[in-house]
Amino acid sequence: MTKRLTLGLLFIAAASYAADLNEKDPNTWTAYGKNSYGWRYSDLKQINTLNVTQLAPKWMFQSDVAGKFEASPLVYDGLMYLTAPSNHAFALDLLTGRVAWHYFKKLPRGVDICCGQVNRGFAAMGDKLFKVNLEDTLIAMDAKTGAVLWETTIDDIKKGFSATVAPLVAKNLVIVGLAGAEFGVRGIIDAYDANTGKRVWRFYTVAGPEDAAGKTWSGDAYQRGGGSIWVPGTYDPELNLVYFGTGNPGPDLDGSVRPGDNLYTCSVVALDADTGKLKWHFQMTPHDVHDWDSVADPVLIDVNHEGKKVKAVVQANRNGFLYALDRATGKFLYAKAYTKVDWTDGIGPDGRPHLVTGKEPSEQGTITCPGMGGGHNWQATTFSPQSGLYYFTTTEGCQIYYKTSQEYHEGVQYQASTTGAVPGEPNTGSVVAVDPNNGTVKWKFPTVTPPTSGLLAVGGGLIFSGDREGYFIALDAKTGKVLWKFQTGGTVIAPPVSYMFEGKQYIAVAAGASMITFTLPGPAH
Amino acid sequence: MRRLMRKRCLLGLVVAAVCAAQTPKTNPFANDPKAIGDGKPMFSLRCAPCHGRNADGGRAPDLTRGTYSVGDTDEDLYTVIAEGAAGTEMPDFLSRIGSDHVWRLVTFIRSISKRDSTQMHGNVENGKALYAGKGQCSQCHAISGQGGRMGPDLTRVGRQRSLKYLSESLTDPNADLTPGFNTITVVTKTGKKIVGVQKNFDTFSAQLIDMSGNYYSFMTSDVASVTREYKSLMPAYKTTFNETQLNDLLAYLSTLRGEAK
Repeated sequence: MTKRLTLGLLFIAAASYAADLNEKDPNTWTAYGKNSYGWRYSDLKQINTLNVTQLAPKWMFQSDVAGKFEASPLVYDGLMYLTAPSNHAFALDLLTGRVAWHYFKKLPRGVDICCGQVNRGFAAMGDKLFKVNLEDTLIAMDAKTGAVLWETTIDDIKKGFSATVAPLVAKNLVIVGLAGAEFGVRGIIDAYDANTGKRVWRFYTVAGPEDAAGKTWSGDAYQRGGGSIWVPGTYDPELNLVYFGTGNPGPDLDGSVRPGDNLYTCSVVALDADTGKLKWHFQMTPHDVHDWDSVADPVLIDVNHEGKKVKAVVQANRNGFLYALDRATGKFLYAKAYTKVDWTDGIGPDGRPHLVTGKEPSEQGTITCPGMGGGHNWQATTFSPQSGLYYFTTTEGCQIYYKTSQEYHEGVQYQASTTGAVPGEPNTGSVVAVDPNNGTVKWKFPTVTPPTSGLLAVGGGLIFSGDREGYFIALDAKTGKVLWKFQTGGTVIAPPVSYMFEGKQYIAVAAGASMITFTLPGPAH
Repeated sequence: MRRLMRKRCLLGLVVAAVCAAQTPKTNPFANDPKAIGDGKPMFSLRCAPCHGRNADGGRAPDLTRGTYSVGDTDEDLYTVIAEGAAGTEMPDFLSRIGSDHVWRLVTFIRSISKRDSTQMHGNVENGKALYAGKGQCSQCHAISGQGGRMGPDLTRVGRQRSLKYLSESLTDPNADLTPGFNTITVVTKTGKKIVGVQKNFDTFSAQLIDMSGNYYSFMTSDVASVTREYKSLMPAYKTTFNETQLNDLLAYLSTLRGEAK
């Protein structure tokens, strides 16, 4: 009781000052990727390979919001900050899971939002939280109260834009992008002043006539060129570069109306954090016609390449290859297939794929591997400096790609057809561990359906993952062996996090519309 | 309290009246080729996963037949797309896509719908007898809550499936297996083999119902093997029934429309 009271007083005292957010503090989780490199690694070791079998739920929060959580929560100052679908957000008490505050903004009626009314989380700076709302606004909130401090319109929802990304904080900037490639938008990455909400810079992910890369589009196709941003980027403070993966060109499956490579879609772009100027770009899938967004988190890992240490950016791309690039220059280091790939017979020394003919979508349907969801889609990945391995989920299988012609109308979906399952060949999946130095697969944990969740690595030698059928799973980081599992009752899409509270390590993950926290039984050690 | 209730009732009536006034009665895009063109890709994306790429049914009803369980007018179609269908997986789309896009979808569906031209030759009463007797269909299928639960519920199958589709299902059940009705085979560590229809199947467990209607649940780690096959346990009836009997059975199935008898 006394201890609680003291802690409560301490909390109140702490809450009256701006939070000192330190991404290196293992006790907290203050950014989507834990650190700005996007590792999603917690150095906490209290929960480890020897005792994880005892891991048990502590509390569970049900949001009462339709849809499923996709957000990575932030945890500090005794609260968990969690965004939910349809413009909801919550601050939860770490002791009980009870709601400290709730934010909700009603969505305008009559707008078509591609791909779910989801949100992938908050960013934090000092005593402020930042999140996007679906109708293309960015808001700053008081972390203690949930009060909105400012709200800025990023762009016009009527054009087909929607905002789902977790913001990235770099210096005094809040950096976001918008989804909407399926509506023929021209993608953007914006930076806003954290104090005022004023826009500082904008980068178009689809090159226009003012840009030399604009010649990779024909006519005015760039105006509908896609290039969504819906997964947060990463930041290297030493190089002062931010990295984002860009989405597919529009329309998704009919490339005939947009001949050319369609830069900077399906690419990783490195931008000067202060100005938004393009430092370099690398396009994984030139002239994509399979909806293979390159949006997966670009994770910053230093690798040994041909005997030299290279500051690299690594991405498990939807096109079936794991890429490593020099993150200072964009120079291609390697690409290695991690799943079945039949659309290319190899990647050239410059990183450009050699295409296999007859693998484009067609009116009658073309079977191509991987499927539209890719080998790895957007789900958060993790790097453990302890094991030296990089982990991500995969979908194993192919799909039938159909193409139709379609006229563009503002605000109407502009995909030019869709995909179907290959009869009798359902997709399976895996959690895979690779050596980021060369892309070699170290182990695969096979699953009967593609895993849906993001991943977490902890210093206790564990990888946490979740699946469509509701299992939350702990794997041995070295071997991939299942050490623990828990049936949550809801599809696990969101990535897990780990933190310390009152001397105990917790693992937290959202499943369905619920947030569940886990810890070891007994008192704090 | 009573005053409050009366106030609420009045408010409810006002809201209902306003809502009714806001619900368009006629399709502003009826037969508009542009709306049909706009509706087609929306259908591919939003509707095809359940209603089939050609709108001829799958998990959700065949929309090409020009007759629908929710009613056959444009307004009926608008309402079910806008508000969803209670008790089914059909979601509501109005808040997501807006009224105009709902009408464009209605217009596209109208453009592809046609009355089922397949001729019905069978005798319904004979078909009903075959269903209950020689076919033993009720062992695995339920109609209005009566019958087995191994196979898909047939209460509304006459609305949900075209005659062509039903005919194919009778003679070749594997031609288009209803999702979730795969075959699971479990071999226990003592060598006992259990075969049944999948209820659940995941990386760690399987639940199934065998031919006798017994329910089983296994953790994969507790048995020798668990396998899932994408085939139906339903027998192919092309040799069990002659052509006349198949037509009779089809005639009976086509009468199953979920209506109160």
